[in-house]
Amino acid sequence: MSGSASAAIPDSPLARMHPIAKIVGICSLGLSTIAWPDFTLGLLFILVLFLAAATAHEFKPFAKIMLGFGIPVTIMLLFIQGCYSPKNTKTILDLDFARMGLEGSLYAAKIVVTLMVFLGSFYLTTKTTYMGRLVAALSQVGVPSKVGYLILASLNVVPQMQRRITVIEQSQHSRGLETSGNIISRARAFIPLLGPVVLSSLTDSQERGMTLETRGFGIKGIRQTSYIKVQWRRTDTLFTACATLLFLLVLAGSIMSGMGIVPLGIQWGGRA
Amino acid sequence: MRKAIEVKDFSFRYRNASSSTLKRISFAVDKGSFFCIIGANGAGKSTLCNALVGLIPHYFVGRSKGLVQIEGVDVAKTTIAELSKTIGLVFQNPFNQLSYTAGTVAEELAFGLGNYGVPREVMHEKVLQVARLMHVEELLDKNPLDLSGGQVQRVAFGSAFIMEPSILVLDECTAQLDPLGSEEIFNIVKDLNSSGVTVVMVDHDMERVAQYADQVMVMRKGKVAALGTPREVFTNPRTPDWGIDVPDYVKLGRGLQSAGFDLDELPIDESHAVQTVRGLL
Amino acid sequence: MKIVVEHLRHAYPNGYCALQDVNLTFEGSQPVALIGQNGAGKTTLAKHLNGILRPTSGRILIDGVDVATAQTAQWARKVGYIFQNPDDQLFLDSVRKEFEFGPHQLGVSDEEIEHRTTRIAELVGLEKKLDSHPFDLSPTEKKFCAIGSVLMMNTGALVFDEPTCGQDKIGNDRLAAIISRLKDQGKLCIAISHDMKFVTRNFPRVVLMRKGQVLLAGSREEVFARQEILQKAYVAPPPITRVAQEVGMAKPVFTVEAFTEVIRQAGQKGKERG
Repeated sequence: MSGSASAAIPDSPLARMHPIAKIVGICSLGLSTIAWPDFTLGLLFILVLFLAAATAHEFKPFAKIMLGFGIPVTIMLLFIQGCYSPKNTKTILDLDFARMGLEGSLYAAKIVVTLMVFLGSFYLTTKTTYMGRLVAALSQVGVPSKVGYLILASLNVVPQMQRRITVIEQSQHSRGLETSGNIISRARAFIPLLGPVVLSSLTDSQERGMTLETRGFGIKGIRQTSYIKVQWRRTDTLFTACATLLFLLVLAGSIMSGMGIVPLGIQWGGRA
Repeated sequence: MRKAIEVKDFSFRYRNASSSTLKRISFAVDKGSFFCIIGANGAGKSTLCNALVGLIPHYFVGRSKGLVQIEGVDVAKTTIAELSKTIGLVFQNPFNQLSYTAGTVAEELAFGLGNYGVPREVMHEKVLQVARLMHVEELLDKNPLDLSGGQVQRVAFGSAFIMEPSILVLDECTAQLDPLGSEEIFNIVKDLNSSGVTVVMVDHDMERVAQYADQVMVMRKGKVAALGTPREVFTNPRTPDWGIDVPDYVKLGRGLQSAGFDLDELPIDESHAVQTVRGLL
Repeated sequence: MKIVVEHLRHAYPNGYCALQDVNLTFEGSQPVALIGQNGAGKTTLAKHLNGILRPTSGRILIDGVDVATAQTAQWARKVGYIFQNPDDQLFLDSVRKEFEFGPHQLGVSDEEIEHRTTRIAELVGLEKKLDSHPFDLSPTEKKFCAIGSVLMMNTGALVFDEPTCGQDKIGNDRLAAIISRLKDQGKLCIAISHDMKFVTRNFPRVVLMRKGQVLLAGSREEVFARQEILQKAYVAPPPITRVAQEVGMAKPVFTVEAFTEVIRQAGQKGKERG
């Protein structure tokens, strides 16, 4: 039963992983990237994430998101930081209108990889985690059910608004409104709708809150159980331990290199 | 016999409303009985349902007076969640019943059980059992929000009924179902009732009310206009003043009477009507 | 107004085939009821009649013109569609604006819109609520607001999806009055309904559907005479008709008057024989 509940998500090592282990993973990768003195470690993590995406049968959409976000942001930050960072001393590229400095460029690269590590690991987590499992896992570790409810309900708002917009569009068409023309005419028909759609989702969520209590939600003195079983397996322990250890090692290494105790191989001036 | 529900002199006015929605309502429902509430839209039926399950006064803001007791417990002095152990409500709009947090129908059905801390194995068993009864077993892995109105109504009913309350309040719970579908639900309700569950039902289908109810309460403009057996209520000449229809069988009986036929008694249900007409032929 | 449905088949994107080879003609001003179980394809069929849904194969002709040749917005001039759930239909902040939206899209003059608003608000019983927010209306009023907003477009045909759902006696009586008014104006009313009392009282023509197909189409007398087919489609006749069938009356009977008339004639025959 617990398996079929996540039928929409293809089976993979990531999908089987305990949601809490995945959250630990996001934190470890992200924080390690920040702690590391330059962008190289982050770059390595991004490669690892691409591999992970491939095992989770999510390579294409993952690559789309990462490149779609990564390329414009890299260009933008390289341009701003690379050309205009006050820390620039070494020029690596001389454009006609500006000079690209080494320090600023490295700093930009560090920001880009950090953002991409967070984005990529977060994206993979949401794509490989059935939300019901996440909430069940959270309640297992003692997160109050109301917090779990808030997470799920807010994740549900967007698809609900999409559904509503579809029916309203049908209604508009059947009352003589043409919206399938160009983007401007669609937008013009649409913008006035946003208010009512948001308003109705709000009243809906208000009514929802009341019905939940008639089904025993928030009853006192009872420890809730969940329908979905989320098993914590040995691999999850192993993964969590490795992720934590990785972060601690990176942190220790970075601090020591910062204090000049241990020189960390190459250091590409990321500490801008 | 102990009372399942006792309402004494209960009045309620929603905040910002110009007048009270419920005005000095008093009635009692016997344990294990089938109690129907009828009346025009806006007569206060849904508001009364909300008061029975504690949404009034705990959720809706307004001024209330009087007493509502569910199995001897004062509704005002407990919580909605606590009351849910005793009394379950099936909402008029089935979409209001959904938790909007369940990704599948199975989880939706299990939601209430989880709140009661029912062990997972028991939960799985009950979900399957109720799904079979409600004919939604093929839908167990579907997203509740992708279902049709009729399917949601079944899931909504199942999710209230799975918690095995001793009192079940049904607020027009079959409006979106076809006749066969609503008959299936009413057969389940009837079975539950025979096994001792007290049923309070709001409905516009007068033939159905006449068929099932032990007691019928007519509401009009926030007040109790009449209370009695289906026969007492539906054969009362004042029904048009109450804004309610009567079963077609009663109309048929009246039509025969005014055409000069002599009837011992007005029929209120189908078998009675058939018997009456056979007597004339 | 004439709507012809030819070999209509509709499969949803998930592959579910909701309609298979439906052939029907809606003509004249006799109100038509679409009946059958949930999932029989009634709403899917109805949504084709003004192009909200498009056929997978087959075609729909409105006054001889294929629906596929224009957008839904164009067909809105000819066929009005009232959704089952008024919340799906209403999106503006006052009843008046809802009323004005349709005719405004169709380019109706302001004077004419104002004239229609007064008339239709009265017909649907919302003359005092024109400036209310649809959110503040009761469920019944919302339904009539949705009906009014489509009546405002003055189309030659109207499709009602479950108009009686959740209505009380007063609501049902008002609906009956609206349908009868539309018929007098020569308009074609098509309604989906589960309420057989309402159907037999107000709709001389009936289409029975089951599993995406039309089982019967004809006058209510013809359709309700076919007990075995109705049973196959899980449709139970209304109470009076059932009693008449139980006691062995040959033809379907829908009203108390017709019923007593049959009994009286039977009595007279009995006396003559006796």
